[in-house]
Amino acid sequence: MSRKSKLLGRPSFYLSPALWPLIISVALFIVLPIIYIVNLSFLQRGATWGVTDVHTLEAYRKLADPTYFAIFANSLRIATLTTLACLVLGYPFAYTTASLPPGRRQLVLLLLLAPFWLNSLIRLNGWILFLRYDGVLNNLLLKLGVIREPLRLLHNQGAILLGMVYGLISFMILAIYNSVEKLDRSLLEAARDLGASPLRAFLTVTLPLTLPGIIAGSILVFVPSIGLFFISDLLGGGKDMLLGNLIATQLLSARNWPFGAVLSVVMLLITVLLIRLYRVFSGGKSIGEML
Amino acid sequence: MRKPVALFLIALLLLTACSSPTPATSPPTSPPTAAPTNPPTEPPSPPASKELIIFTWAEYINPDVIAAFEAETGITVNFSFFDRNEEMLTKLDAAGGVGYDLVLASDYIIAEAAAAGLVQELDYSLIPNAQDIEPAFLGQFYDPEDTYTIPFAAGTPLIIYDPAKVNIPVTGYASLWDPSLANSVVVFDDARLMVGFTMMMLGGSLNSTDPELIKAAEEKLYELKGNILALDYDTAHEKMISGEALAALMFTSGITRSLEERPDLEIVYPEEGMGFGIDCFFLPSGAANTANAHLFLNFILRGDMAAELSNYAGYINCVATAKDYLPQEVLENKALYIPAEILGNAEFMENIDLAATELIDDAWTRFKQR
Repeated sequence: MSRKSKLLGRPSFYLSPALWPLIISVALFIVLPIIYIVNLSFLQRGATWGVTDVHTLEAYRKLADPTYFAIFANSLRIATLTTLACLVLGYPFAYTTASLPPGRRQLVLLLLLAPFWLNSLIRLNGWILFLRYDGVLNNLLLKLGVIREPLRLLHNQGAILLGMVYGLISFMILAIYNSVEKLDRSLLEAARDLGASPLRAFLTVTLPLTLPGIIAGSILVFVPSIGLFFISDLLGGGKDMLLGNLIATQLLSARNWPFGAVLSVVMLLITVLLIRLYRVFSGGKSIGEML
Repeated sequence: MRKPVALFLIALLLLTACSSPTPATSPPTSPPTAAPTNPPTEPPSPPASKELIIFTWAEYINPDVIAAFEAETGITVNFSFFDRNEEMLTKLDAAGGVGYDLVLASDYIIAEAAAAGLVQELDYSLIPNAQDIEPAFLGQFYDPEDTYTIPFAAGTPLIIYDPAKVNIPVTGYASLWDPSLANSVVVFDDARLMVGFTMMMLGGSLNSTDPELIKAAEEKLYELKGNILALDYDTAHEKMISGEALAALMFTSGITRSLEERPDLEIVYPEEGMGFGIDCFFLPSGAANTANAHLFLNFILRGDMAAELSNYAGYINCVATAKDYLPQEVLENKALYIPAEILGNAEFMENIDLAATELIDDAWTRFKQR
């Protein structure tokens, strides 16, 4: 796309009326809220409620506390683990799905999306009913005599990771599926004909050609996993402070709106940085173009 | 190219669907009516509308009582719900006190609503049943002269434990620190309450603002971290009922629910001192149907109705005449009938200055981060 416009010269500044709805919605739902949040981050906290008109850097100074660095680090660690787990579990799934006959493929994709017709909180509560101390899994294991005492499966970081992977793996699968679907299988046959082992063919042909999907999927999983706060509260027992939880706490219970806004700005910057990195890796293409 | 783009859009849709923090189940909320702002002193106009809009938490007011009120008066009650007191104040503030006829919220937030001029005086001549309110629930810090609030329910956070599995005497907050309770304790996910209780343990009060004491409480809380199974504000009773938690701090409604399922559990009035909270009704400054609101307040203060309300909500009843209608097991419930001398010493969580609030919030963040 970008190459074409270079050939045609600079695009004119005339905006087709067909673009207006897009521009208006971007301005209303993306630009304005960001301006609001950035402005809020520079305001001073009100004595008991809300904010005052005074502009200050006070909220930004709070970031110097090493506690917040530790919280960022912990959030990034969990987001990285989530992304890796989604990749390891999602890649074979996507690859197999893309190899199915077209009719079955559509069915698998439909089934993959079906859980999203239910609200995510309801699905998470389903996990709680399944995993909790007197839940389905523990009762089953007790009945089968595998265990004598119920296992404490919830309220730990493993449970948080499970919830994150469960909630986000579809993004990874869809992104990789798209790459694998476009993969020219004759290249693989050629590699095998020329004597490459299946592993070598995978590493030198399949993997590089599906890398764009892997990277796109990783971003689509990584970014939201930094912000999901209710998974840690519901499955993790609320003991872990992640970036998303910290923002929710500052806005809802600590009533420190400016600091909540500062943290949101930091999260936004992390996201922008990641997408920049991605563009570097993918040779300047956007996620949409890669898919 | 078209299909991949469509899939990407689906992915984006999922992204938004999966990051929505609130359940999609929308309660039957009524749109705020654009009513003209009545000055608080103006008497209600005689051809009153047959509507009443109540703003409160979902599943708090017994629907049977609402049905009885509607049948008796012909007034239609509509609800609008909030999740948190703070959300209530934000919405009420944004609407300038207009849109709701009655608000039911907690003590400390009512103090702020009053300071912001969002409440109006009650006309006690329209609420004769107000004389039956237990004096213990009147004249509190948020409304010393009882000019604008009617107490609806009261609660005290108490300790509940499983005597079959806990081998130490449980007497107060300090018992929760015992090494035998490793990974077995559930407490509130709330900075003010938890730092406050720890300060009580260290000889301070729930509302102490001394930075040294806050720091000491933070250090003390670090020692509790290994015993914490979960920090939970809403569903702690489930962990107690299932047997996963051995001891917990819970609000009154959680305690009553736990005891319903597990009568073998024991409750303790913490020896270091107790917290206390009262949820009250008030008329927002811009209430349109003030006559209906007063009628409703008088109705729910009837003994039989008050009993039905507290049985449903699981909180402490504030109306003296309700005793005749309460079942024996409720009257004997230690969480719902607390001896006056103990309740008298319980302490409200009041609004404290900003510097101390921030110290406490930051201490709690560090505690959770550990």
